[in-house]
Amino acid sequence: MRWLVACLLILISTAASAETFRFTAIPDEDQSRLEERFDKVAHYLEDRLGVDVEYVPVKSYSAAVSAFRNDQVQLAWFGGLTGVQARRLVPDSRAIAQGKEDAEFRTYFIANHDSDVDTQGDDLPKNVQGKAFTFGAKTSTSGRLMPEYYIRDQFGAPPKSLFSRVGFSGDHTRTIALVESGTYDIGAVNFKVWDAAVADGRVDTDKVDVIWKTPTYPDYQWTVRGDVDSRYGNGFTDKVRQALLDMHDPKLLESFPREGFIPADNDDYQPIEDVGEKLGLLR
Amino acid sequence: MSVEELVRFDGEALGHARHTVLAELTLGLQAGERVALLGPSGVGKSTLLAALRQRLGHRAAWCPQEHGLVPPLSVYHNVYMGRLERHSAFANFLNLIRPRRDAWHEIQALCGELGLEGLLKRPVAQLSGGQRQRVAIARALYQAREVFLGDEPVASIDPHQARRLLHRVQNQHTTCVIALHQRELALTHFDRVWGLRDGRLMFDTPARELTLDDLDTLYPDAHSSDPQPEPA
Amino acid sequence: MREERAPGLLAGDSLNLRLARRSLGLIALCLVLLPFADLAITTHDPWAELGRMLSGLLHPDLLATESLPHAIALTIGFALWGTLLGMLLGFPLALLFPRSRLLRGGCAFVRAIHELFWALLLLQVFGLSAVTAIAALTIPYAGIFAKVYAEILELTPRAPVDALPEGVGRLSRFVYAELPMVWSRLSSYTRYRFECAMRSSVLLGFVGLPTLGFHLESAFREGRYPEAGALLWLFYLMIASLHLWGHRRLLPWIALGSLFLLGPWPDIDGALLWRFVSVDLWPQPLLEGNWSGLWQWFSEIPDLLPAIGNTLLLGLMGTAGSLVVALLLWPLASRHFGNRPTRMAGKGVLILMRSTPELMLAFIFLLMLGPSMLPAWLALSLHNGALIAFLVARHADAIVPGSHALPASGRYAYELLPRLYGGLLALLFYRAETIIRETALLGMLGIATLGFHIDSSFAYMMFDQAFVLLLITAALNIGVDALARRYRPREIADTPGQHDRPAGEAPC
Repeated sequence: MRWLVACLLILISTAASAETFRFTAIPDEDQSRLEERFDKVAHYLEDRLGVDVEYVPVKSYSAAVSAFRNDQVQLAWFGGLTGVQARRLVPDSRAIAQGKEDAEFRTYFIANHDSDVDTQGDDLPKNVQGKAFTFGAKTSTSGRLMPEYYIRDQFGAPPKSLFSRVGFSGDHTRTIALVESGTYDIGAVNFKVWDAAVADGRVDTDKVDVIWKTPTYPDYQWTVRGDVDSRYGNGFTDKVRQALLDMHDPKLLESFPREGFIPADNDDYQPIEDVGEKLGLLR
Repeated sequence: MSVEELVRFDGEALGHARHTVLAELTLGLQAGERVALLGPSGVGKSTLLAALRQRLGHRAAWCPQEHGLVPPLSVYHNVYMGRLERHSAFANFLNLIRPRRDAWHEIQALCGELGLEGLLKRPVAQLSGGQRQRVAIARALYQAREVFLGDEPVASIDPHQARRLLHRVQNQHTTCVIALHQRELALTHFDRVWGLRDGRLMFDTPARELTLDDLDTLYPDAHSSDPQPEPA
Repeated sequence: MREERAPGLLAGDSLNLRLARRSLGLIALCLVLLPFADLAITTHDPWAELGRMLSGLLHPDLLATESLPHAIALTIGFALWGTLLGMLLGFPLALLFPRSRLLRGGCAFVRAIHELFWALLLLQVFGLSAVTAIAALTIPYAGIFAKVYAEILELTPRAPVDALPEGVGRLSRFVYAELPMVWSRLSSYTRYRFECAMRSSVLLGFVGLPTLGFHLESAFREGRYPEAGALLWLFYLMIASLHLWGHRRLLPWIALGSLFLLGPWPDIDGALLWRFVSVDLWPQPLLEGNWSGLWQWFSEIPDLLPAIGNTLLLGLMGTAGSLVVALLLWPLASRHFGNRPTRMAGKGVLILMRSTPELMLAFIFLLMLGPSMLPAWLALSLHNGALIAFLVARHADAIVPGSHALPASGRYAYELLPRLYGGLLALLFYRAETIIRETALLGMLGIATLGFHIDSSFAYMMFDQAFVLLLITAALNIGVDALARRYRPREIADTPGQHDRPAGEAPC
């Protein structure tokens, strides 16, 4: 009997997997209870698309890229740079939507008060030189790519020769914690994560504060594989895009967290691709 | 009719590579002769037995000094190893999982005679020293060969048991060469005694022509070197 | 009458003096090179964060993690299948091991690459699937099993084989007279490796496979310490209760049961796989046969030489540190010192330190001390030192002291240490290979070893660069292993119980 049930389960799971549409997403911050939060999004998409939809939890954007490349997910919520990486690896894949905030994304440079860096101004303060500095994750657009671009742009030198120490915290929340504890003097952080941390009182602004805000650039976006139309029916890509644009329920949107989604395409991310190539992170 | 001579050494040197243990050995083993091999430890008894074993090949059953048993395996499997070469690898493998019926019955009877009844399934690791010695003898008997070669097979067994076991061995094998250190047994249970000392054969004499005093001459420190048999 | 001269310091040719010179040489080399290591303490105010961490450990929240039973089941399932398949592959290889130089080289190579790096490599082809996780354990374990099984088989007692009648076939001889003689050592080593596999399986979560480590890493990284604390305690509990659920008769059922949880199995895209192994892994200039371009490509790998230097330096420091820690800590768990409660506590501390993944320890120190080499050094020394101390204490307990009148210090210096030191050093030199492997791994925390650049290369999808760095890492490990083998004490003075030979405790 047990065997029968087991065999049935296997049959069902393989039969289902043949046509299940899978997606993945990682929020900027708070990666707890991912499945619980994104299963709601999966249900919403299931209703709208008329196919089985499943959420696949991932840990990092590079894991998301390899899942996308291996066709384990057909739709993914990527960062700016990781989206470009994914689209280069999977020909014909397309960016279809971005968050309302993502068209004008920013990075904040934050500093520990004990580091005596002048606060605010139009440019990154000159006396950041010689301090200890941390990026976020290595392939984060807001935590690595764009801050490095602006540092090079302003000082004409790579971060390594500018700062006494350059680290990668791996995560925006961690960047804030490390700068607050004084492990690093300065850090580069996703502005939404910073704003949320300040709003929740999770950060002591007497110890750490913003010293410079970068100009805006495009960031997170939804990317879908190019072969979904042939696999899930004609016009499937458009259906997915429309479903995302029509997502207005705050309960669903807070998982990302975004106010809503707007259309986007591959060309919107050309600037990111250019910067990535210039910095040698893409080739 | 003349007696068949099974093995003959003619002034040969025995030993390992580069190290001679027994020099100029001249010696013959006749069929139907029960030979006791005596001498202090380290004199070359094992070397001589190994040479005999090599010459006799398939005609000899072999019971080595430290038993050479496989402690994790059962008594049955250890005895079965006496005929390992007579079955295919596959049959042997199956026998590890499920004993062969014919072999089981034969070994059961054999072990019964040797006082090992009821122990067939027990791992050798759980047996006493005397019991292990009897398993080693059982394995040699199970080989069912013409000549029995034993390197101190009754060393750690009490004298009464030792006599019984020697009887059992000699019932099955009219020809045997057995290394011993119980000198009395050499005189009572054997036809001939080979005495080794200082790397050579001191005597090769019928047992009835020898006395205990003659045997004592083999041991440099006769009275203290006589080991006490351990209880089984 | 001529007076006999007292011997000079450390002069003489006795075994222990030679060992002492060797270890002092190791420590001296470490001290000389220490100025080249980045050991700055940069943290000004770690206390708030550490306080939160401690309170999380003391108030664990077991309900914070979603699908926890699934993560536990997968952790065990991956470990079990990884060990099982590694064993099935490694055993036949062990039989050929002494005969084939090529095979020994191949095994050394697959062993030299850490499970986590195998996972990163396989992730590109098999995605986030059980195939990636199990193969990442199976491949290096096959190499380890081949080597250790071969070492154990080499020590098979000859007597039962000599007692066999003439003409017994090779296979029959093996299954009757050889295998049973070493069976218990083979199986006890296999058990030990399963424990290692549990740790590795948790680590696989750090790169995104859905084991306990997946949640543990997220929780730690994001500062959700009550959840992290609960997961850490749960992990200790799983290791500590291994003897209860890891029963010989239970494991096959667990293995079969876990099969149902391991899916969905990936559809392997042949074209993708082929592209990966034939194009992605190799530098473009090499594929084009452009040699000067290859040189250019090679010189563009950032900070290659400093990374190699840091890897070796950290390996050396970790080895020397482990020696000091082991020497200091082993009396904690030995019956020759202290009383029952202190020993229990000592043993607990040692087990805790050796069970905690090094990456975790290093991470905690990183918060306390800042991002230099210091946290990695401490983590390596404490983890490996505790592991060696634990084994040395076990050896010590088998020694019956001659004189009970000696004070503790005298017992330590005159009675026990001289007999244990050879074994301790042998264990240390066995660990050297593991330490250098872990050194590369700690790069994932941002310490500038080779592992840092391997991790970056994978993140930037530059697989050719990652592959070359992995090859360099493997070559370093093989070199260090050869060096350690050369200086490893062979003639161990007085190691009680040959069952405890270091071979059975080889790298984890």
